[in-house]
Amino acid sequence: MSGFKNAYVLNVMSSDHPGIVAAVTGAVESLGGNLDACSQTVLGGYFTLIIIVSLPEPLEPERLADRVREAGAPNSEFQVMVRRARHESELPKQESCERFVITAFGRDRPGVVRSFSQYLAAKDINIVDLYGDLRGDDFVLIGQVEVPVHWDVRMMQDDLEQMGSELGFTVKLQHENIFVATNQLRLSATFPSPFGRGEVS
Amino acid sequence: MLRTDEILSTIHMLHAEHLDVRSVTLALSLEDCAGSNIDHFCRKVRHKIVSRASRLVEVCDRVGAKYGIPVINKRLAISPAASLLAGHGVAGAVRFAQTLDAAVDECGVDFLGGFTALVQKGITAGDDVVIRALPEVLAATQRVCASVNVASRRAGINMDAVGEMGRVLLQIAEATADARGFGCAKLVVFANIPEDNPFMAGAYVGSGEPEAAVNIGVSGPGVVSSALKRRLAEGDSLTLGDLAEEIKITSFRVTRVGELIGREVAKELGVPFGIVDLSLAPTPTVGDSVGEILKMLGIERIGAPGSTAAVAMLNDAVKKGGMFASSSVGGLSGAFIPVSEDAALADAVGRGHLVLEKLEAMTSVCSVGLDMIAVPGDTPAETLSAIIADEMAIGVINDKTTAVRLVPVPGAKAGEVVDFGGLFGAMPVMEVRNAGASREFVRFGGRIPAPIQSLKN
Repeated sequence: MSGFKNAYVLNVMSSDHPGIVAAVTGAVESLGGNLDACSQTVLGGYFTLIIIVSLPEPLEPERLADRVREAGAPNSEFQVMVRRARHESELPKQESCERFVITAFGRDRPGVVRSFSQYLAAKDINIVDLYGDLRGDDFVLIGQVEVPVHWDVRMMQDDLEQMGSELGFTVKLQHENIFVATNQLRLSATFPSPFGRGEVS
Repeated sequence: MLRTDEILSTIHMLHAEHLDVRSVTLALSLEDCAGSNIDHFCRKVRHKIVSRASRLVEVCDRVGAKYGIPVINKRLAISPAASLLAGHGVAGAVRFAQTLDAAVDECGVDFLGGFTALVQKGITAGDDVVIRALPEVLAATQRVCASVNVASRRAGINMDAVGEMGRVLLQIAEATADARGFGCAKLVVFANIPEDNPFMAGAYVGSGEPEAAVNIGVSGPGVVSSALKRRLAEGDSLTLGDLAEEIKITSFRVTRVGELIGREVAKELGVPFGIVDLSLAPTPTVGDSVGEILKMLGIERIGAPGSTAAVAMLNDAVKKGGMFASSSVGGLSGAFIPVSEDAALADAVGRGHLVLEKLEAMTSVCSVGLDMIAVPGDTPAETLSAIIADEMAIGVINDKTTAVRLVPVPGAKAGEVVDFGGLFGAMPVMEVRNAGASREFVRFGGRIPAPIQSLKN
C-alpha cells in the first residue's frame, strides 16, 4: 500500500478554492513523502480531502499536520487531522460481502439517514459511499453498501421498504451489477468475460 | 465506484419506465425420453421436466429480486415433438401433450413451446402425427404451444404443408369454438424458424442446441416509448436520427439487464446461458405497445403511409443497441406487431386505419409476421393458406424469420370484437379481402423452389 514504511492518514478540510491539493501535496513532498491514495469531495462550498501518505523517516503525526497547516496558511485555514495508518495486514478481517446500492426518494424530513443507517449498522453492513441531496422538498439518498453474503436480500428489501413506507420514502436495495450493466461498457463488476463458462460471483 | 448520475438514470429506467425481463425460457432437450412404449415415454418426460425445471420460477424470482427487476414469464421449450412422436399415433401425441401440460403446471411455469414439426421440405411420420394431433392437443391442454415450420431459405415453401395448415387452423378453431378459436393463438406457422427463440408460441429446442440452456426475452416496448417521451419533452429540434439514437441506447440498457439476469439464472440452474432475444414484445397493457412508439415517431394513425419506414427504423435501432450490449444475441430479435396483444394496434384496426395488407408490408421489415390476428370464422381454408404463403414468401426471399398466427373466430364477422383474455388481448375481427380468390393457387400444392440468392432486387 505504501511507498515507504511510515504511512499516515491525513484529513484536510477547508473552504473550497483553487490550490488546496497543490498546497497539501507540496507539504508532503517537502518532507520527502509520497502520496499513496487520495479521495476528495466538495459539498456546499466546502472542500474535504482524505489522503494516505508515506514518509521515508518516522514523524510525529502532529508535526505532519503542522506542515500541512502552514502550507495553507497564506490563503486559507486548513483544518488538518493526521494519524498513523495501519498496515493492511493489521486491518480486521472482513466477512465475504457483495456490494449493493440502496436508494431512497421521498419528501424530506429529519431522521431519514439515521433510520436507514441504524438499520444497516445493526446488520453489520458497511456504507462505502453515501450521497444525499435535497431537490426542492424531496430528498434523494443513495448509499453503496457491502452486504455480508449470509443475509437474505429479499428479507432486507422487505424491511427497508417497510421502513421507507413509514417515512414516506420509496426505498430500493439492488445489487450493484445492475447499475454497471446498464451504464458501463462491461456487463458487470464481477464477470471476467461474457464468454466465460457462466461464472457469476 | 458507481457514479451518482449512473445510479439515478438506472433507477429512473427501472422504476419510472417499468423495465422488466419479459421471459426466461429454459430450453430442454427431451430426446433421451423418446421410447416406443407411450406410458414409459410420458413418465420419463414428466420426470425430466419436473427435475430440471421445478426450481426455475424460484430462481428467477430470487435473481430478479436481487437486481430489482421482475421476471414476468417463466417458460420452457422442448425438442420438437415430431422428433419424439414417430411411431405413436394421434392418441399418443395427445397423451404426450397432456403430460407436458401437467408437468409444466407442476413447475409453476406459464407456457411450454415445442409441440413442433419442421416440414419445410417434406413431412415425416412424426410430423404428420403432430399436425394431425394439433386440434385435439390445443383444445385439451392449457399451456402447450405449437409451431410448424413450412418454409426456409434453403428449401423454399412447402405448399402441401401450407395447404394443410389452412385446413388445420379451421379444425383447431372449431375444436376450441367455445373459447372463440383460442387454440389457434397457441400455434405459429413459420418460415426460417429460429432454434433458440424464447418467445411463445414459437419456442422450441433446435437440433443444434445444447441439452439445456437459458434463453432470455428482454423487456417490452413500454421502456422504449417512455425513453422517447422523455427525449421528445427535452428537445425541440429532434430528427429521426436523434430518436433512433435514443432507441438504440435504451435497447443497449434493456439487453444488458436481460443478459445479466439470464447468466445468473443459468448459473444457478447449472445450465449454459444461451441467447438474449432483442425483440420488443408488447402486452395489452396501455403504454406497452409498439403502436404507441409508432405514434411517437409521428405516425398519427397506425397503418398510414410511413408506418413501414417507422417500424423499420425502430427494429434496426433496437438491434444495433442490443448487438453492442451482448455477444449472445439470437432468437427472433425484432419488434413484434401482434395485433390483439398491442392495444394501439388493435385500436387502429377498430378505427379502420390498419388493414391486413399494410400489416403484411410492415412485417417485411420487422419481426415476426402476421401475429395474433382474428379473422372471420368463415374464411376459406385456401385463403388462410394463401395468407400464410404470402408471409412465408417474405421470409424466404428476404432471408428472415416470418410467421403467421391467425385465429379464424368461429361465427364471427369482420368488425366484431373478440377478447382472448390476459396477455393475448382483444381486437376487432379483421376483414379478409378477396376471400376465396386464391383457391387454385393453393390447390396446386407442391413446393415453391428455394429462391436465388443473388440479383437481390
